[in-house]
Amino acid sequence: MQVDDNSAIAETACSHDGPIETDAVIVGAGPVGLFQVFELGLLEIKAHVIDSLAYPGGQCIELYPDKPIYDIPAVPVCTGKELTDNLLKQIEPFGATFHFGQEVTVVDKRDDGRFHVETSKGTRFLAKTVFVAGGVGSFQPRMLRIDGIEAFLDSQLFYRVRNPAQFAGKNLVIIGGGDSALDWTLNFVQDGPHRAESVILVHRRDVFRAAPASVAKMRELCEAHEMQFTVGQATGFERDDAGRLSKLKITGSDGVTRIVPLDMLLVFFGLSPKLGPIADWGLGIDRKQLVVDTEKFETDVPGIFAVGDINTYPGKKKLILSGFHEAALAAFGAAPYVFPEKRILLQYTTTSPKLHKVLGVETPVFD
Amino acid sequence: MTHVVLESCIRCKYTDCVDVCPVDCFREGPNMLVIDPDECIDCAVCIPECPVNAILPEEDVPNDQLPFIKLNAELSRNWPSITKRKAPPADADAWKDRRDKLDQLVR
Repeated sequence: MQVDDNSAIAETACSHDGPIETDAVIVGAGPVGLFQVFELGLLEIKAHVIDSLAYPGGQCIELYPDKPIYDIPAVPVCTGKELTDNLLKQIEPFGATFHFGQEVTVVDKRDDGRFHVETSKGTRFLAKTVFVAGGVGSFQPRMLRIDGIEAFLDSQLFYRVRNPAQFAGKNLVIIGGGDSALDWTLNFVQDGPHRAESVILVHRRDVFRAAPASVAKMRELCEAHEMQFTVGQATGFERDDAGRLSKLKITGSDGVTRIVPLDMLLVFFGLSPKLGPIADWGLGIDRKQLVVDTEKFETDVPGIFAVGDINTYPGKKKLILSGFHEAALAAFGAAPYVFPEKRILLQYTTTSPKLHKVLGVETPVFD
Repeated sequence: MTHVVLESCIRCKYTDCVDVCPVDCFREGPNMLVIDPDECIDCAVCIPECPVNAILPEEDVPNDQLPFIKLNAELSRNWPSITKRKAPPADADAWKDRRDKLDQLVR
């Protein structure tokens, strides 16, 4: 299932009209952040969702997309990917706007009680409430561990591809054994606008985590001498006279170190979460997690709620289902900030015509 | 609760876990790592990273490994923080399938 990244629209709106004004900003598009959209939606609270990844799903997508989850109530088994897709389908009626590939850098409470939220891409919000569903932090690329190689970051060493055109016609070394490594390898080897001059794929073993079809295709291309695959690990590098990264030392499983010339080095070791700036937002913290009450899952700053793995309270268990419960109560806790005049009643999606309207479904006729 | 580094780590110390820890709670001894129980947030990200399956949540620690809960707490007080992966000892592979390594632990 595809989610439209509306951030381009939002950014345009932002540049013309200042910050995006909204009822709620949700930080984190993992399962709990997504379900927070649902619970807010039932109470007719509109939300914008921010995530550092380029896609929704959080840990479910980044750490275990294909692994089975057995403890979602009424779902005997599903994968992280299926859970994410189902949640996206469930929240579709509420039209939340997603802002991917950016981290929240600023959260300030203003005198009028609203929050000024700003991201690393400069997107700004004025929100009545903030929901931190940040899990165990934002996902960062795992680095190549060779002393001194970081000097080439973003000139010749890349952990992600933002602009494929800059690799066209170049001699590439790609390191990694997952889908990102294989997908980009195939992209740069095959005919197309970004075809590289040469591609060498390096992985520490001859076993891949990537989709079997991609691996088969890669082996086919090797046999056709369109590219090379080497088992080994990058262990060092050499510079040319201009100080540029010119050669990579690759130590094979046979213990022999070979020297490979290159223009660009692409490393795909996957991503791992880092708690990072959330710990510096001035919210009450215990062991790097946000302290909340168990009535509304609100932090010590009124109007900022924390749900899912990021929060802590007596008896906390880091389960997706606990996060769902927290999201429901946090939504009710937030309603008075958004609708100070309105009395908020609990209604059931089975019987409430009002909820049927917000969900965009027919009201069933009972016999 | 916390996660605990067990006996399998002794003389192996592959340090893959260190890279993925979101809160930098690993501490490094001469030939083993431990987890600081006051820093660990039980995210479990490190468990699948360990090539010798040396990390478990406190609740799942088997009986013969229970002393390591206390040992992690004790040793983490004096050992320095490690936040970046480094090369394992040269003979790590020779020790990775060995049991009963507690007598090898260097404090």
